[in-house]
Amino acid sequence: MNHTFTLPNSGHNYDAKASKLGMWLFLYTELLLFGGLFLVYMVYRSLNEEAFLLASFNLDVWMGTFNTVVLLTSSMTVAMSITALQLGDAKKSIMLLWLTIAAALIFLVVKYFEWGAKFEHGLFPGMDHFNTLPPGERLYFYLYFFMTGLHGLHVIVGGIFIGVVIKKIKNKSVNKNRYQLLENSGLYWHLVDLIWIYLFPLFYLIH
Amino acid sequence: MSNKDHNSEPHAEHISSYREHFGTWVGLILLTMMTVFISVFGADLRTLSVATALLIASVKALVVGYYFMHLKYDPAIYRIMMGIVMALFTVFLVMVIFDYLTRN
Repeated sequence: MNHTFTLPNSGHNYDAKASKLGMWLFLYTELLLFGGLFLVYMVYRSLNEEAFLLASFNLDVWMGTFNTVVLLTSSMTVAMSITALQLGDAKKSIMLLWLTIAAALIFLVVKYFEWGAKFEHGLFPGMDHFNTLPPGERLYFYLYFFMTGLHGLHVIVGGIFIGVVIKKIKNKSVNKNRYQLLENSGLYWHLVDLIWIYLFPLFYLIH
Repeated sequence: MSNKDHNSEPHAEHISSYREHFGTWVGLILLTMMTVFISVFGADLRTLSVATALLIASVKALVVGYYFMHLKYDPAIYRIMMGIVMALFTVFLVMVIFDYLTRN
């Protein structure tokens, strides 16, 4: 009999189920975080319907649509990269993850131009033009910048998470038999997509 | 020893095919086009278009959850917990709505 001992929590024990459950628990808290913000949006929108409508005309529907397509596509590539690794094709998996990161960067570049245009028009909270707006429109921009900003932060974190997973697939610590970390990064990425699915119609399509 | 012993095979689970992911993507893109189309060209249906936009968003969210996030093939516990979270959110929602409806 050959006994090997590993200390608990020494990093050698791998429990895919527990890891996945933990990730989901975290995602549930994320849903409630954004859920709270959507409640704030709902209340202020119902109190300032006309102002929200007017303010929403400052957003570019086509840029928003483009970013929606980019995020949906990246969700597909990250889901495919899990399939690739499960089938044992690490190279393809890494390639698909790079595509996901590329999509994250495209999303952020488009966001940069969108926000840049708002800054030019003085619509960021505290700027001169912003201060002259009626209260309802100011509320819209507070919520717009806070919610898309928090979402953008999640895009950045998700991209870094996926980058870490790429490194771990390369050094084989994430592989065909131990891919829970990849799956968790995928779940996080899908959550980012999920939140955008609601942000897009609420801010861009309400007219 | 049984082959169906889940503890012996941590990843003995369903593998989604590339085709299935691509099909999911096509569905999501079509729903996106639909919601943009309704919003841009159906401006006279204002209140209706907000409700439709949220309905379409929820269908998209379900598709992402069920296929991309693999909820359809995962153990029921994840769907049950998702149901609990949604129920909790609904409680918050109803409480906020009653609060604002009963203010003067």
